[in-house]
Amino acid sequence: MIRYQARHNTVYDYGEPVTLAHHLAHLRPRDSDRQKLLRHELRVDPEPTTWNERIDGFDNPIVQFAVQEPHHRLIVESLIEIELEPFEVPEAAAYPAWDALRARLDEGGPDTVEAYAFRQDSTLIEVDDAFAAYAAPDFSPGRPVVEALLAFNARINGEFAFDPQATTVTTPPREVLRVKRGVCQDFAHLMIACLRSIGLPARYVSGYLRTTPPPGRPRLVGADQSHAWVAVWIGPDRWLELDPTNDCVPSLDHITVAHGRDYDDVAPLRGIIVGGGPHRLQVGVDVVPLKNWAEKKV
Amino acid sequence: MSGVLSRYDHGEFYCEIMGQSGTPPLEYTAAIRERLATLDLEALQRRAEDAERELYNLGITFTVYSEKDAIDRILPFDVIPRVLTRDDWAHLEAGVIQRVTAINLFLADVYGPQHALKDGIIPAELVLGNSNYQPAMIGLKVAHGAYANICGIDVVRNEAGKFMVLEDNARTPSGVSYVLENRNMMLRAFPDLTTDISIRPVDNYGPKLQEAMVEIAPADVADPQVVLLSPGTYNSAYFEHIFLAREMGVPLVEGRDLVVENDRVYMKTTGGLERVHTIYRRLNDDFLDPEVFRPESTLGVPGLMRAVRAGNVALANSVGTGVADDKAVYAYMPRLIKYYMSEEPILDNVLTHICREPDALAYTLDHLAELVVKPVAESGGYGITVGPKASKEELEVCRANLLKDPNNYISQPTIKLSVCPTLVEGEVEPRHVDLRPFAITGKSTWVLPGGLTRVALRRGSLVVNSSQGGGSKDTWVLG
Repeated sequence: MIRYQARHNTVYDYGEPVTLAHHLAHLRPRDSDRQKLLRHELRVDPEPTTWNERIDGFDNPIVQFAVQEPHHRLIVESLIEIELEPFEVPEAAAYPAWDALRARLDEGGPDTVEAYAFRQDSTLIEVDDAFAAYAAPDFSPGRPVVEALLAFNARINGEFAFDPQATTVTTPPREVLRVKRGVCQDFAHLMIACLRSIGLPARYVSGYLRTTPPPGRPRLVGADQSHAWVAVWIGPDRWLELDPTNDCVPSLDHITVAHGRDYDDVAPLRGIIVGGGPHRLQVGVDVVPLKNWAEKKV
Repeated sequence: MSGVLSRYDHGEFYCEIMGQSGTPPLEYTAAIRERLATLDLEALQRRAEDAERELYNLGITFTVYSEKDAIDRILPFDVIPRVLTRDDWAHLEAGVIQRVTAINLFLADVYGPQHALKDGIIPAELVLGNSNYQPAMIGLKVAHGAYANICGIDVVRNEAGKFMVLEDNARTPSGVSYVLENRNMMLRAFPDLTTDISIRPVDNYGPKLQEAMVEIAPADVADPQVVLLSPGTYNSAYFEHIFLAREMGVPLVEGRDLVVENDRVYMKTTGGLERVHTIYRRLNDDFLDPEVFRPESTLGVPGLMRAVRAGNVALANSVGTGVADDKAVYAYMPRLIKYYMSEEPILDNVLTHICREPDALAYTLDHLAELVVKPVAESGGYGITVGPKASKEELEVCRANLLKDPNNYISQPTIKLSVCPTLVEGEVEPRHVDLRPFAITGKSTWVLPGGLTRVALRRGSLVVNSSQGGGSKDTWVLG
């Protein structure tokens, strides 16, 4: 078990004053089997005039707020204290073959309902034969699903280069497959597109990585910003998380914030502003283990 | 028989005026047949042309998407009415009310507890993976459980005269303005055809709609303000938006006329901001609110969904109703009626093969030339292949599409749709018709007597959709 303190800072600098802004924030981490939120504080400057907290259609906590005074700069600071449990990679033998899983989904049943929103096209991801063809080598008939997924995770990591210059937030997965370059969001979208194209449900996970690795371990890629990875349905109530950017299975280094069908469902901040002109955006993320938490608890 | 029906022959089809093939003419149409018999074709033709000119001058037009050059075109009015008996109508009305009730129960379920999905009544994937399913609606309550406040249920009649549902329209169904205008036209231009026949009136549609809009408004408001939200003049049904706003006596607005402040919707007026409580919107989900749906939409109202969620404004129809009228979901509607209402469906579906099921796909591929193949996510008659009318090339394209993405298609046998005598190029000939009754749901469901009878003007054509160049007729429900 480990406890973290995380800080996610977002600063918008606008060329012209913004007279009215409405924002929707996916910044409060959701609870899960492997994490429990201890404390969360969302600070916004200027002071919002409206503030609504609720749960979205994918069970993520969200905050909607409005800033109605003219401003040149908007600062959103999210402060998190969270406790993580380690995640053990499941025994491959305990899970069926990937194609048996797909057949079970095709057939349907009360315990597969949770999966279907994540097996079809979504706003940013379209199912396509090209993705199925790319995934095919790792998904031979009858191969156990966990084994196939781990192999596929490693292959994406090996064949795609991390390159922040190669793509933008709107680059479609098809283009990422062509240029074989991109950032964590691209690899997550690509992997989801491939899995859905062979009939496996996959969702997009947004979150953070710990900034400085434990001694003797390499620093993970994407550690000073928002990170993204994938969760694949491997049975009723069981999702296997995969981080193709780092070729690993998320455990004590990955803090989950939200999940949805793709980035569009869980963008950290999404807003409609009046005015503003050209703007500059700075984002910073820090994730450090909470010191002496055991003593604190006493 | 003399007059305009003297050479009329409806062949093997059920005729809305004559009845079943090989039986004596329907008794209840005797009055209209006698009156048509007193007219000669030339006179009828001349009067029809006058009426059509009047329609055009009134600006009753419908943009046809497939004809790129045509900005507006008239939905031609045919002077020979379609007649329904009191009993026919009682049956149809009960069937439509039952169907709309099931649609609303289904919507409350899929955005709520999802019982029907867990109980396997309908494949969960069809619903949750549907592009019209809106997660933004999950857990959101609507007044009286009425999600689809305005519904158009398309009904056809087979060669035995049996009514069947062909399609549900639960998003922003259009065409009701033709029902009202066709009746006006009939009464004004053909008084000799209508006098002394007791026909159920249709002119209370506007007030009934307005009443339902008031019923769904936030409960604490004494005198709710209703508006009609239109995407604007480029929309194919813009004239209908103007027409309905006038019939209801409410302002016609576009997105830029509305503003959301403190989760309340206001209309910009010359006297300042005025609060809005119910929006009859004729704008698709995707464009409604750039905060939640397409961020680039300039037609919608930023913050509208916040106001809906806060209970400060009602939308008719609710967001996400498209999942209920999807052509694949349609196939399950009889089962959903039984599941939610413990009743047998009053109106059957047309037999439907759901191509996501392997047997149905195989059957469809084997019988392609006999079937109508429809994509499930489209509306408006686009992308439909009518097997018996399709060329070899069209059938091959259809086959390739089916094999590539079977989940996206359903197929149905071609039905020998009923016909109605129709004035075409100086002759009265049988042409296929369907019927779209309109149902309004606030606290309860009310159905406009009759509905829109659409007629396929091309000889032998089965496509009566108004975006595919069909015409329309006045529909009489006898009192």
